[in-house]
Amino acid sequence: VSRIARAALAALPSIVVCRPALAHMIGDARGFPGGVLHPLLVPAHALALIAMGLMLGSQDRAAALRLFAVFVLSLATAVAMVAAAYAPREPAMILLIATACAALAAAIGRPLPMPFAAILAGVAAIALLLDSVPAVVSTTETLLALAGTIFSASAVLLIVSTLAMTARRHWQRIAVRIAGSWCAASALLVLALQMAR
Amino acid sequence: MLRLLLAAALSLAPAAALAHASEGVAGGFTGGFLHPLLGLDHVAAMVAVGLWGAFLGAPAIYLLPIVFPLVMAFGGILGILGVPLPGMEAGIALSAAVLGLMVALAARPPLWVAAVLVGAFAIFHGYAHGAEVPDGADAAAFFTGFVIATGLLHLCGIAFGLLANSPRGRVAVRLAGSAIMLAGIVFLSRLA
Repeated sequence: VSRIARAALAALPSIVVCRPALAHMIGDARGFPGGVLHPLLVPAHALALIAMGLMLGSQDRAAALRLFAVFVLSLATAVAMVAAAYAPREPAMILLIATACAALAAAIGRPLPMPFAAILAGVAAIALLLDSVPAVVSTTETLLALAGTIFSASAVLLIVSTLAMTARRHWQRIAVRIAGSWCAASALLVLALQMAR
Repeated sequence: MLRLLLAAALSLAPAAALAHASEGVAGGFTGGFLHPLLGLDHVAAMVAVGLWGAFLGAPAIYLLPIVFPLVMAFGGILGILGVPLPGMEAGIALSAAVLGLMVALAARPPLWVAAVLVGAFAIFHGYAHGAEVPDGADAAAFFTGFVIATGLLHLCGIAFGLLANSPRGRVAVRLAGSAIMLAGIVFLSRLA
C-alpha cells in the first residue's frame, strides 16, 4: 500500500468521528474569560478600540502614553459607576460617536490637541465598559467580566497604538490613515443605522 | 485501492461548518464583504478609482482611498435614512463608464476636479450599500466588511495601475480602463 493510501487510512477515523466546526460558539463564555472576549467579539467595540489605537498612534509617544493612562483610568472609573448602579441610556451610541471622531482624526493624520484627545479617550473608555456589563445577577461574576474587559481592551489599544506609532515610513503612515478612514466610514454608517432604527 | 480509500474518506466528510450563518457577526461581515464584490458595476467602478489614482500620482494616489470611504459613508447615510436619490442605478453604471474613460484617456485633470467626480460617484455607491443592509446582520460587522472590501478593490486598482510606470504597463492599464468603460456602457444599456 502506498504512502498516500496509508495516510488516507490513518485519517479515516479522525474524519469519521469529527464534529461540526462551531467556530463562533464562544459567546457563552462567562466571568473573566467572557469579559476578555467581549471587546474582541462585539464588532462595534473592536472597531472603537482600533480607532482609538490609530488616534493614539498619531500622537507623539509621551502624549500617547498619557492618553493610554486616561483610557485605563476611565475604564476603572466606569467599573465604579457600574458598582454605583449607574445605568446610562445609550452607551453604544456614545461609543460610536467617539469612534467616528477618533477614526476621523486618524484619517486626517494630524495629532489632536491633548485636551480633546483626552476627553475622547475617556468618553470612549467609559462608554465601552458601560456597554459591556454582562446580563448576570452575581456581583462577583459581573466584576470578573469587567476586569476581563479592562484587560483585553487595554491590551488591544496598546497593540494597535504601538503598531500605528511604529509606522514611520510614508506608505505606512498612509496605511494608518486609510485604516482610520475605513473605521470612520464604518462607525458613521452604524451610527446612522442606529439613529434610523 | 488507493482511489477507493480516498473516495471513502471524502464520502465520510465532516458535518457542515456552522461558522458562517447568514446572521450575526460572521454573517454580517461576510454579507458586507461580499456586497461590493458581487456587483460587477461596483467592482468595475472601484477598480477604476484605484487605476485612476495610480495614473494621477501623488497626492491623489493616497488621497482617493482615504477620502472615498468617507464620502461613500455620506451616501450610505442618505440610503439608511431613506433620503431619495434619483438615478442611483444609472449613477453607479455611469461611474464605471466615466471613470473607465478617464483611465483609458490617461486623463490628468486638477486634483479637485478628480476629487469632485469620484466623490459624486462615491455617493451613489454608498447609497446602494446603505439602502440594502440585511435585517438580521450585525450592523458594525456588515459595514466594516463592505468598507474593507471596497478599500481592497481600490488597492487592487492602484496595484495594477502602478504598472503604468512602464510603457507597456501604461498600455495595459489604459486597456483595462477601456474595458471598464465598455462594461459601464453595457450596464447603462441594461437600464435603458
